[in-house]
Amino acid sequence: MDGRAGSSFRVGVDIGGTFTDIVLMSDDGALHTKKIASSVDDYARAIAEGLAETFAETGLGSDDVAEIRHGTTVGSNAILERKGARTGLIGTKGFRDILDIRTLRMPRLYDLRWEKPAPLVERYLRVTVDERIDAQGRVQRPLDPSEAEAAVRRLLQEKVEAIAICLLNSFTNAAHERIIRDIVARMAPGLTVCSSFEVLPEIKEYERTSTTVINAYLKPVVHRYLRSLRDNLDKSKINAPVLLMQSNGGLTTDRAAAELPIHIVESGPAGGVIGSQVLARAMGLGHVISFDMGGTTAKASLIEAGEVTRVHECEVGGGVIVGSRLLTGAGYTLKVPAIDLAEVGAGGGSLLWLDAGGSLRVGPRSAGASPGPVCYDQGGKEPTITDANVLLGYINPGYLVGGGLRLNADKAREAVREKIAKPMGLSVEHAAHGAHQIAAANMIRAIKSVSTERGRDPRQYTMMAFGGNGPLFAAGMAESLGIKRIVVPPVPGLFSSFGLLCAEVEHHYSRTFRRLLKQVDLAELNAAWNHMADEARRQLTDEGFIGDAQRIGRTASLHYQGQTYELNVPVPDGPIDQAAVATIAEAFGREHERTYGHRAGPEEPVELITILVTGHGLSRRARLPEQTRPSRAEGARQPARKAYFGAKVEWLETPVLRRSELDAMPRQGPMIIEEYDATCVVPPTARASLDSRGNIVIEV
Amino acid sequence: MGEARDPITFELFKNAIFSIADEMALTIVRTSYSGVIKDNMDFSTAFCDANGKLVAQGLTLPGHLGSIPTALEAVMRRYGADMQPGDVFTLNDPFEGGMHLPDIFVFRPIYAEGRRVAFSATVCHHTDVGGRVPGSNASDSTEIYQEGLRIPPMKLYAAGVRNETLFSLIERNVRLPVRVFGDLRAQLAACHIAEGQFLELVARYGADETEAMMREVIDYAERLTRAALRDLPDGTYSFEDFLDDDGIELGKPIRLFVTLHKKGDGIVADWTGTSPQVKGAINNTLSFTKAASYTAIRSVLPEGIPNNEGVFRAIEVKAPPGTIANAVLPAACAARGLTGLRMTDCCFGALAMMLPDRVFAASDGGATCITIGGYYADRKPFIYADFTSGTWGGRPWADGLEGNAHIFANLASHSVEITEAEQPIQILGYEFMADRGGPGKYRGGAPFYREYRFMEGEAILQVRSDRRYRRCFGLYGGWPGRPSMNTVNPGTEDRILPSKFTTMIKRDDIFRHEIAGPGGWGDPLEREPARVLRDVRNELVTPEAAQRDYGVVIDTAAWVVDELATRRERERRLAGRKAVPAMAVVWDEASVLGLAAE
Repeated sequence: MDGRAGSSFRVGVDIGGTFTDIVLMSDDGALHTKKIASSVDDYARAIAEGLAETFAETGLGSDDVAEIRHGTTVGSNAILERKGARTGLIGTKGFRDILDIRTLRMPRLYDLRWEKPAPLVERYLRVTVDERIDAQGRVQRPLDPSEAEAAVRRLLQEKVEAIAICLLNSFTNAAHERIIRDIVARMAPGLTVCSSFEVLPEIKEYERTSTTVINAYLKPVVHRYLRSLRDNLDKSKINAPVLLMQSNGGLTTDRAAAELPIHIVESGPAGGVIGSQVLARAMGLGHVISFDMGGTTAKASLIEAGEVTRVHECEVGGGVIVGSRLLTGAGYTLKVPAIDLAEVGAGGGSLLWLDAGGSLRVGPRSAGASPGPVCYDQGGKEPTITDANVLLGYINPGYLVGGGLRLNADKAREAVREKIAKPMGLSVEHAAHGAHQIAAANMIRAIKSVSTERGRDPRQYTMMAFGGNGPLFAAGMAESLGIKRIVVPPVPGLFSSFGLLCAEVEHHYSRTFRRLLKQVDLAELNAAWNHMADEARRQLTDEGFIGDAQRIGRTASLHYQGQTYELNVPVPDGPIDQAAVATIAEAFGREHERTYGHRAGPEEPVELITILVTGHGLSRRARLPEQTRPSRAEGARQPARKAYFGAKVEWLETPVLRRSELDAMPRQGPMIIEEYDATCVVPPTARASLDSRGNIVIEV
Repeated sequence: MGEARDPITFELFKNAIFSIADEMALTIVRTSYSGVIKDNMDFSTAFCDANGKLVAQGLTLPGHLGSIPTALEAVMRRYGADMQPGDVFTLNDPFEGGMHLPDIFVFRPIYAEGRRVAFSATVCHHTDVGGRVPGSNASDSTEIYQEGLRIPPMKLYAAGVRNETLFSLIERNVRLPVRVFGDLRAQLAACHIAEGQFLELVARYGADETEAMMREVIDYAERLTRAALRDLPDGTYSFEDFLDDDGIELGKPIRLFVTLHKKGDGIVADWTGTSPQVKGAINNTLSFTKAASYTAIRSVLPEGIPNNEGVFRAIEVKAPPGTIANAVLPAACAARGLTGLRMTDCCFGALAMMLPDRVFAASDGGATCITIGGYYADRKPFIYADFTSGTWGGRPWADGLEGNAHIFANLASHSVEITEAEQPIQILGYEFMADRGGPGKYRGGAPFYREYRFMEGEAILQVRSDRRYRRCFGLYGGWPGRPSMNTVNPGTEDRILPSKFTTMIKRDDIFRHEIAGPGGWGDPLEREPARVLRDVRNELVTPEAAQRDYGVVIDTAAWVVDELATRRERERRLAGRKAVPAMAVVWDEASVLGLAAE
């Protein structure tokens, strides 16, 4: 699909809790940006309004829009705020509580106050039927349709808006789930119904049930949202197609997203990572850490040899907990491929506080949009990271959002002095700088959790820094991590929206296969893979990707018999024969060695657990023009000011530049580069230049 | 702050050193081979100073708190004068630094500026260390010699050279050497990574300053612990509880007894009065008793206190040698997990006397272990081991959690479908049971049952469970929960078995285990009727029990509380109870009801 022929602008829209960011880019690189307040009651409205305002500012019209690409938190918010559909669940007799028992594991130690997240379907809406499929897929106890009807009736009487079906071992034989699904369709035409064999035909009953339930829970919400979006666009006479960003970094159509909303739950942060990936490829950079810091959280992700890193399972709705990678159970399990992101509760609004031992802490609590930092002068009393940055001279009190927001620096200083500096016996700038460093240390932990903790050395990576606060912290953090180079792309504060414009359409399919690799029936394996590939092709054809524009990729997840965790390896194209099986076995052995430092001998039995297919729809447009030319005029030139760079050098007279004042010749810090949507701090030890694409490049 | 050091620098150092311990833990998760380690998180990582004092422990298993210094002490005793760069030490002997044989420790001394400055340390529960039963976890061994390979403190590497003798000895004495060596490699990798990162800190701060800051991290934890303890009431608080038996001498209860002496900014947990060590394999080492005591006490302290020597300085744990809390040769201890869990609950009981509004009633007791082992027709062995616990006692502010790990051992359950795909076992049910958690103003969580059908010729079924004869206590008017239960072929043969047993099962035999119901907290007559209604609606409490236990009358047609009938019912009960003193610990609802009848 290439959007509407003749129209030349792609539009990226990224909705956050406070701001909706809109970026329009033409094929030749003209770039218009807009940041407006989100319309929390109906997010779709702000999109239409923001576009209308952009048209007014730029002279463009609805006909100039070729397609709209959208990253949204509507799914994750519905889970976080428990505002999904009233959902019923039908399971196998004896297993009513799979959703509640989960894996028993909790994310907190020594915490008598821990509360599990309440199941998305309460017990009285979970019903079971007396049926049984065994592990080999044989019907052991046939399903009595009249019992299934009674179960459905009971849920309908409870006025559910959606029904999820997940029976034991249904991934080996979906016959009973099909019968129940058809009964629901007959008894309640039009009601949302999701059966696990269609959502996630994979082994492990908790993960499958949880994923199926989340899909049912979100489907009506996402459907309503997308319809409202379409209505709003229609009103503005914009009839360009809408593509949605998925958690895995690929785009999908609005129709497919409405069917399987589980894929867009972590849509929000994906745009920035894909933007980093595409920019990195264009710059010839292989290994990149993308670092995105906004008002409440910071996110880090890794790009290796030009590819984003993915996980096959994540937890949603659990909030942000530092160190949570070790201890799971805080949120709801969702078994879909997603970009591997580490997130920490560190942003401009993170609160500074002293613990019982007198230690200075930063976050994870945030002052949020209201009351916000003390310097916003909207009633905030607790100092935040932004307050510290203002009194250190990093943020210009008169220039935030291009002067749209004036800050009260005196109040910020007073709050840091009273709450932090005085009790610690430190000077106010020393305390503020300490807070800045501790926030950086918290974010460094996030970066480490996706790099060193996976055996990767961050010193071999370039950092791509964006988000409103990313460029402010990047250089200091890079120094501690041993990173030598930072890239700050144009319009860093809206880079997530920009990233949407770089993404491609992508669909993921998976199925449990579970056979000893050596004993695999090749005909059966080929048939299963072909079936999934056909499904992918059908979907892509539906979306207008024909012939060369379709690319099908295959991977397999395997482990040594007896292991609990699988490793994913690529699978060669073409029919699978004995040679291909040997290639897969060797790829698995190599990956095992790379990840675990050792591999077993050739006699150790390897099990093929899951087979996966990815369907890519390749766009004929360049993902990234050679040059991007932001249309927004830069602000007025600002005078130099004093900024604090630690106890050794203390206050330094620091020039304040606009991006356009940099050039290819590296310039020694200190300096501050101020833009409409972000502030970039270059410490005295670093040098900054501008590359041919308009990126700020900082050498640490 | 004792010395004139920049508090910000200290905070950054503290962050860095704990992040090393966590990173070690992640390395093990990433590189280890076996499910015990990954799913049950049955391992720990730590960083110690040059004298073996714990500076930072990774966020993993509470049951290992305090075990690493004990093991490192044993290493120092033997090798204090014979240690050099490139050495790596190991041990697993419970009677010289270890806990039980499957837990293998690995230590690596770290050198900088010409001297030893620290140790990196790991301990992992290995799949098998030999002995008479696969998995080396049997509860019916009666002496350590039956339990597997005993490794005293030894050098696994000496100055970087691999100890081939020790490796080949291990190789010949364990059932799955590939897996054991894979997991040992994970431990070595974690120690190695820690060394690299630690040396970066030394490069930044210098060895002297680094060592000084490690001391300060310990002092900081001690300050936090003592400040928190100072806020607790002084006094002496005891608690007594019993295990059903040791599985060898059936029906002979085993006494657990703890006395907490809290004075000023310190606390002593004294286990004097606890039963002599027993024949069955449920004997604790002192280090495991310490872990249980620390876990309970830590859980009433504010969060954010680092796990290190500073905490241990403020909490003293005593247990006389020769008791189940501090066993001596030749005690068997492979299955001591049960005792650790129950000692944690016992210690919580004493804390509940000190802090009535901060501690929960007894949890399910934990660590039911069900093992089914035998041979397929082709003589290939199978072994299935299921550790399970999953429900908390009522809390002074909320109901007990249900379907949640015990606070002492944060283990995860196996997937039913994976079990059925890999084992000759079918699972017929895994579901909450109604009316089993102790009633209370805040009730105990609902326990679950698990039902297994055996699908091969024959097998040995071994079960280690508890809380059958001595139920989970309720607190402050809350009732105890229902006992645990073991049944073979429920509904047909209905053979009831004791809490610990070994028996033969045949094809199509069904075994059902019901975990114990935890205790409730507070008078059930004070429970909000709306909560009772919700429980009835969710079929966790039957309408009959709502009326009988809570005095709440539910109209199940309209799903509302019959307010008038409920008020009458509750008034009638309360009237009959005026003279009853509030009971702190409730072992038997008859005692509450009996008094009420007077």
